[in-house]
Amino acid sequence: MSILVIEDEPKTGDYLQRGLAESGFGVRLARNGRDGLHIAREEAIELVVLDVMLPRMDGWEVLAALRADPATAQIPVLFLTARDEVQDRVRGLELGADDYLVKPFAFVELVARIRTLLRRGPVREEAQICIGDMEIDVLMRRVRRGGTPIVLTAQEFALLHLLARRQGQVLSRALIASQVWDMNFDSDTNVIDAAVRRLRRKIDDPFPDKLIHTRRGMGYVCEAVSAAAP
Amino acid sequence: MTAFTMAGWRQSLALRVSAMFTLVVVLAAAGLGSYLYHAFAGEIERRDDIQLLGKLRQVQMLLGRPGAAELLRAQPDYFRDTMSGQENSLVRILAPDGTPLADINALHETYPLPPVAGVVPTLDAIRSWTTSTGAPGRVVAGSARLDNRQVHIVVARAYAERSAMFAGYRRQIAGAALVSALAAALLAALLLRRGLRPLHGVAEHAALVRPGTLAQRLEVKGAPSELLPLIHALNDMLARLQEGYARLSGFSADLAHEFRTPVANLLGQSQVMLAQPRSTGEYEDLIASNIEELERLARMIESMLFLARAGQDEVVLVRQPLQALGELGKVAGFFEGMAEERGLVFACTGDAALTVAADAALLRRALANLVSNAVRHADTGSTIALAAGRRGDSVELSVSNHGAPVASPHLAHLFERFYRADPARSDAEGSTGLGLAIVGAIMDLHGGRASVHVEGTRITFTLVFPAA
Repeated sequence: MSILVIEDEPKTGDYLQRGLAESGFGVRLARNGRDGLHIAREEAIELVVLDVMLPRMDGWEVLAALRADPATAQIPVLFLTARDEVQDRVRGLELGADDYLVKPFAFVELVARIRTLLRRGPVREEAQICIGDMEIDVLMRRVRRGGTPIVLTAQEFALLHLLARRQGQVLSRALIASQVWDMNFDSDTNVIDAAVRRLRRKIDDPFPDKLIHTRRGMGYVCEAVSAAAP
Repeated sequence: MTAFTMAGWRQSLALRVSAMFTLVVVLAAAGLGSYLYHAFAGEIERRDDIQLLGKLRQVQMLLGRPGAAELLRAQPDYFRDTMSGQENSLVRILAPDGTPLADINALHETYPLPPVAGVVPTLDAIRSWTTSTGAPGRVVAGSARLDNRQVHIVVARAYAERSAMFAGYRRQIAGAALVSALAAALLAALLLRRGLRPLHGVAEHAALVRPGTLAQRLEVKGAPSELLPLIHALNDMLARLQEGYARLSGFSADLAHEFRTPVANLLGQSQVMLAQPRSTGEYEDLIASNIEELERLARMIESMLFLARAGQDEVVLVRQPLQALGELGKVAGFFEGMAEERGLVFACTGDAALTVAADAALLRRALANLVSNAVRHADTGSTIALAAGRRGDSVELSVSNHGAPVASPHLAHLFERFYRADPARSDAEGSTGLGLAIVGAIMDLHGGRASVHVEGTRITFTLVFPAA
């Protein structure tokens, strides 16, 4: 099973292919709509990342063709658009796309959306999350590290819970702002940095093993050091 | 052809005014002519009627002479010659029982017999009739004595010549009206051409206005007073256009400048890095730094697009009642970490029941921009006050902080794009210089406004939402 990327812009296509492959996905790249449609019909594709501005056969036509064919109708489609017009978004979603991203977008954002789409369906919320020596009791909103209880404010807990739920995934600042504070716009990046620093003071500073890591230029990831790259 | 004429009619002021003027002249000439004609004709008819009564009187006198009855019987031809005088005079003498005693009727006309109106009939007793040739006639009947016998005298007359004269007169009046109409049309066209000449002057001036010559104004001197309001309005429009154009081109210049810095950084540091072999760490640092610059550019582009769309009302508002104090609390919570690092405290005050009808995402964005500013500029250790209140029908949300005083000349410009009170801090901490412009645009979209107020070192930004 792999992800099909249909993108005509050479650099974009290349980095999407490389980035998604390095994120652990099998990737097929098509440089135009017709090839893309062909691959979607012939191969086992679990998700399509579709640029709507394509030569010859545009993204909308590809999307309509995918939805019209019973063999491909169920494949989730995430479309990419450079024109952030309401009509565009509405059109894409009406044609049956599952999600969209406006260019320019953060790569980690794309990966996060793809993961969400692939996981779609009943998501089981874990009541207990363990990362390294940290235990999070989601229902009781309690956090312990190595048996030591850590007192967090409601927002600190919400931030930690988000990072822990998606452990091992790099979360962009925009995603964090949106999920924790419901701020759905590109805001001052310092706000998230400060919030994470505050959380780290309680979660990481008193302990030798750090769990929350900065991925420069991308965002934050929560994982036990031993599980990270050697 | 018809369409062309209709379009010409609608479009040409000169044509319209000339036509109306001509119409007025025609109506006036026709009215005057008709009045004079009727007065003249009435007078002529009255004189003819008086003459008709005179004729009756003459016949009465003739019959009153001794021997008149004898003469009438013995020499009717003589009597006829004496009586008729004029060819168009018709006289009939009847016995009371209706037997004609004499009938002078050279033209063999038939005319009605009007009621007998005594010895001295007045003008009212005269009746009209029409000859066999269609000419108008008048007839009157009176009584007289003939040999001690009462007889009736009927005198009638036909006025064929008079009708012909009247017809000629009418033709003359119509001709005069037509000629005056033509003259009026011609004169009106000429006068309007002259009168509208200042308009051509205005048009010529206006035609010279180009984006680069917006400073020019239309000439007010020598313009007729009727055109002054138009010229003033056009000049005011030019002033507004000039201002808008200047702002727009200033904005483009600012935009280019704002883009230039990050692009120069990206280009420069990448080239420097590639010039020599570097360690992996150095490359990583470069890429991370590039990403930071690029994120700033992306944010700027997003903000620009938002402003452009808001300016053209293309942003769809989803208004809903929001708990004002709750929204302030949310935004304060978002900035809590950043505020804490600077030793700042948020104080949210207001009525918990107060709601504001606004688009949730846009309201948060506006508040976040204000709070972000406040956190950046507040004095260390001070309190940032967030307040929700009602003033009259509107709901006011305000963000205020203590900080370096902002000089009042800057205040009016704070909501302009890329306007910074302190140019030295232009690149401070990821600010795009568009935050307050976006706040202003969001308030415009809500039909409200954003204002700023300074009191000593306290600066307060207020969002005013009018009652929905």
